Parts: sequence; structure tokens; C-alpha cells
Amino acid sequence: MGEGSHLMGTDRSDQPASPQTARTATVVVLSLAVAVVLGDAGVVTLALPEILRDFGAQVWGVAWVLIAFNLVLTLVAVPAARLCVRGDPAVATATGLVGFAAATTVCAVAPSLGVLIAARAAQAAGGALVIVGSLEMLVAAIGVERAGVRRWAAAGVAGAALGPVIGGLLTSAFSWRAIFVVQIPIVLLALPAAIALRGRVVERRRPTLDTSPDRPHVLANLALALLSAALTAALFLLVLLLVDGWSRSPAVAAVAVTAVPVAALAAGPVFRGVRAGTRSEAVAGSVMIAGGLTGLALLPGAELVWTLAPQVLIGLGLGLSVDSLTAAALRDRIPRAIHGGWTIAARHAGVVVGLAILTPIFTADLRHAQTPAEEAIARLVLDAPLPASTKLDLAEQLGRRLSAERGRVPDLRPAFEALQVPATQATAVAALERGLDDQLKRAATRAFRTAFLVAAGLALLALGPALALRDRSRS
Amino acid sequence: MRRLALPLIAVVLVGAVLGVQVAAGGGHYIPLRPANPCTPRPVSPIPAQLEPLAEQIVLLGLDSAACRLGISRERLVLALAQTRSPDPRESAALKAGLVDAVDRLDRQGLLPKVSQLLPQALDQANLPGIVKTLIGAIPGPVVDNLLPTAPLLRRTIDELDINRLLHELTDPSQLNSVLQSAILQAALRQILDRVHP
Repeated sequence: MGEGSHLMGTDRSDQPASPQTARTATVVVLSLAVAVVLGDAGVVTLALPEILRDFGAQVWGVAWVLIAFNLVLTLVAVPAARLCVRGDPAVATATGLVGFAAATTVCAVAPSLGVLIAARAAQAAGGALVIVGSLEMLVAAIGVERAGVRRWAAAGVAGAALGPVIGGLLTSAFSWRAIFVVQIPIVLLALPAAIALRGRVVERRRPTLDTSPDRPHVLANLALALLSAALTAALFLLVLLLVDGWSRSPAVAAVAVTAVPVAALAAGPVFRGVRAGTRSEAVAGSVMIAGGLTGLALLPGAELVWTLAPQVLIGLGLGLSVDSLTAAALRDRIPRAIHGGWTIAARHAGVVVGLAILTPIFTADLRHAQTPAEEAIARLVLDAPLPASTKLDLAEQLGRRLSAERGRVPDLRPAFEALQVPATQATAVAALERGLDDQLKRAATRAFRTAFLVAAGLALLALGPALALRDRSRS
Repeated sequence: MRRLALPLIAVVLVGAVLGVQVAAGGGHYIPLRPANPCTPRPVSPIPAQLEPLAEQIVLLGLDSAACRLGISRERLVLALAQTRSPDPRESAALKAGLVDAVDRLDRQGLLPKVSQLLPQALDQANLPGIVKTLIGAIPGPVVDNLLPTAPLLRRTIDELDINRLLHELTDPSQLNSVLQSAILQAALRQILDRVHP
């Protein structure tokens, strides 16, 4: 280990002469490609309710739109990195960009859930080549290993944090298919840069092929996996709670969850001045993510404002921990692409494990929430200051809504719209509608509690490997 | 010290956020729980009209029936709404519960007199006009003497076909017909009992 560091930590003087603007453009388009691919891991989160309705699927089936991408990325990241190491990273990246764009096109026009899931898997395979190839190319383009790795990690964090927000806004403005349409030109922007760097990255890296590869950094990768599993909950569950549980539009939900990426991006400027070291950053990040998730499990109301402080904690934790753990996993290890592949595999394995653990928990809890919600609704209707005949009419309509949307949070508005009452009862009916809506929100919020607490537990588990890290200042 | 700074800041921030949320009721934001049906609910005065009286008897009766069955009033209502065919145990509990409700209102002096309810009852009854006029002409004290409210309601409940009543819940005209038939039968029997004790 360490032998490669002097090879990779080259200064800019041995680079082929290239204009500064061309280098900057290369760095920007490659960073964008990495952000788009890693953002894809969660970009459809806010679109899931619409996909669910479009294809008439169940929550568990639609969750595979997320799981397929993350599972394939987990399995393919390291083999893709080996391809990059043996061949030319620029060629691997270009191939990945074309494959990713093609699969994304299929996603955009998918006629069924099955095709969408298969295309998402293909997207991940192409995306894996893009991510690991871009690591080598960014280091080559920037010319300084540490700066290149940090740029690569930061692009990934920004993509993962902003993905759900952008996906939600596009779903709200157009349709879930728009999420995939806009990705195609963005990733293809990096294609000329990849082709231009063909052969140059191989030349610079060739001596490292003669050295035996370092072992993966188990502790950093394990912590990354556990935190990613927890962060999945933060975005996937929170979005489902806002859209399905609290009946917010995807646009409102998208704006609401921007607190996470904004806080993640602010974490660096806010805390890096402390220069606390990798271990301290990872520990503090894990504590904040666990605390934020516990905050989401203990919401005192269904107003968006209550989710903000927990989200800020999660965002700060994300910005502190993922970046520093990725840097720790790659520091002084060769071949860099393979270790980059390990961090990607670890993060997305965490996402898959998180979804696999948390989806059954909250879907079961959502089913179990039905009985208390129905009882609360029955109690409010029985005790409402309305004539018995109005209550009977309303009970009939509500019964239809509840049985029509069994297993999901029902929309009771049609029951009230169908109710014809004299003006003297209008105030009491409106108060009852508000009361029933509040009860449904209470039941939905309660149904997500266990899943958020389990996710907080996963973040706390990350404290183990984080505490065992060798502390090194990031200065 | 620098190494401890960030974890300490994290703990303080988490403590502050969770403290505010718990203080604001976090953890208790859950759906309304059904009240214990065996604990008597307060009853407010009932206007001398058929619908409020019937509703009050049904609400108190559901409590008492649910208490007898060992479930919540809301669970009983939801079960009845789903099946519309109560089993014999539920039917018996419902009838007994309704009688308990009448007894309680009677004890508290909250039952209106039959003479007060009669004009509205005659308006809604499917009787020939001449009969309505004749019954309406009977002086109030005579009506109340012949038909004391509590015994009349107990007899009416006894006459009720609970299964049919539940089936007709969504059809107001059929529901009225079932209730009127039970009330008429009960009134006739009561008058006959008074005339031929």
C-alpha cells in the first residue's frame, strides 16, 4: 500500500498541455455525469406514488424500481472498476455513458413496470462504468489525487442528495418519465470528454498495474453501507410519508426535502473549520443522522415545518460522514478505481439492505394502522354534532372510500363531496372533515415510526466502524 | 479536544431537536383511541323530537352492547357496518344495550313524554288522515297515561328485528317503516295491556 500514492499524486507539470477551460469543462461534465448516475439511485423516490398509480402496482413492486438500480450497481461496481483498471478508463466511461443513456431512454418510454425495472438494472450496469471510470478521469483531469477524489465524492453526495428533489419537481411539473428524459443529454455531455481522454489516463496510471492491489477499507465501507441504509429511510420513507400519508403534492414534497441536500452542502463550510479528523466527522455524522431519523419518528404534527430540523440534522450528518468515509476508504489505496468501486458497492448495498428491511416494516405498519384509523373515524362520526340521518349517509360514503383504498391511506374528500346537507350543518360537516383528515394523518405518521426508528438504529450501528477508524486530520 | 468537538456538537444538536419535538407532543401524535364503552358517557338534555331521542338511545345502546361484548363501541359499529348481519350474540347484546339506554335515560328523567313526540310521529306515520286526526285529538295526559315513554320504548325494542333494521340502514323510507311498525305494535300491545291488565 502507499506505493501508488506517489504515482497518483502527480503534479500538473507532467500533464499534457491543455487549456485551463478545457480542463474545467472536462471536470464539470464528468462531475455532472457522476452526480446524475448516483442521483439516479433515489431520483424516482418522489415519482413512486405516480408510478404506482400509472402501473396499478403495489408498494413492494414499485420499490423494485429503486432496488433493481441499487442492487445491480452494488454487484457491478467492483467488476466495472476491474475493467477500468485492466483497460482504458476513458473507453470504459464512454461505453458506460452510451449504455446508461440507452437504458435511460427505455426507462422514459417503459410500457410496463417489468420493462421499467429491467431498464433500471441496465442503467445501473452502464452507470457503474461511468462512476468508476470518472474517478480515474477526474484525478487525471485535475492532476492532484486528493482533489480529484474529493471532487468525485462531492459529486456523488450532491447527486444522491439532490436526486429525489429534482425527480420530485420534474414529476410534479411534467411526469415521472421526464426524470429520465432530462438525464439523457446531461450524461451524453461527458461523452466528448471521455473520448478526448482516451489513452491518456492509461499512460499515467500504467506503473500501478505491476503492484498488488490493496485490500478494501472494511471499516469505512461498512460504515458507508450502514449510513446509506439509514439515509434511504430518510429520503424514501419521508417522501412516501409526505406524498401518501400527508397528501402533499410531489412538488411540495420535493421542496420540503431540499433541507437535506442544502444542509449536506452546508456541512463542509460549517464544520470543516474544526479540522476534527476523519473519525470525528464520521462519528458526528452518524450521531446526527441517527438523531434526525429519531426526530422523524417522533413528529408532533403533520405540518412540514416539523420535518425541517430532523432533515437538517440528517443533511449535516450526510455531508460530514459520507464524504469523509469515502476519502478514508480511498486514501493511499490502489488501484483507486477498484476502491472507488468498493465504496459505491458498499453504499448501494446499504440502500438495498435498507429498502429490504424497511419496506416490509412500514407496509405492514401501514396495514396495521388501518384498524386504529377506522376506529378513530368511527368515533368522530358517531360523536359529531350532526343529525343521525346525515351520519348514516356519511358513514355509507366513508365505508365505500375505506374499502376502495384498502392498504393505502384513503382520500376521504369524495365522501364529503357526495354528501348533501343543509347549510345549517355545513360548519359541523367541515369540522368533521378536518377532524377525520387529522386522524388519517396521525395514523399514517404513526405507521412510519418503527421504520424511522429502525433506520436510526442502522445509523447508530455505523458508530461501531466509525469509532474504530484511524483518525487523520483532513487538513 | 478538537476530536471531541464535532461529536459533542452533534449530541447537543440532536438533543435540542429531540427535546423540542418531545416537548411539542412528539410520540403522542397518534389516532384517537376508542373510549371505554363500560364507562358511562355524560348525556345532555334531549329535545322532544324523535330523531335526537332515537340517536341518543342508539349511541348509549351501542356503548352498553359493546361493553357486554367486551369490545369498543367503534369496533362493534364497524363490524356491523361490514357484515350487516349480526350473529345471535351480537343481536342479543344490541337489544339488551338499547334497553339499558332507555333505563338510564328514564332514571335520569331525560325521556320526553309520548304526547310531546306524538305530533311528529303522526306526521311521519303512514296512516289515513282521519286516523291521524282522531289520535291527535286525544288529550296529552290521556296519551301519557296510556303510553308511558320508557315501557313503550322497551316494548318497541323488544319488537325490533335487528337484522332487518341493519339491512335497511341506508334506505330511510324502509328504515322508517321498520321503526314505525315496531312502535305501532308496541303501542297497541301496551294499550291492550292497560285496558285488559
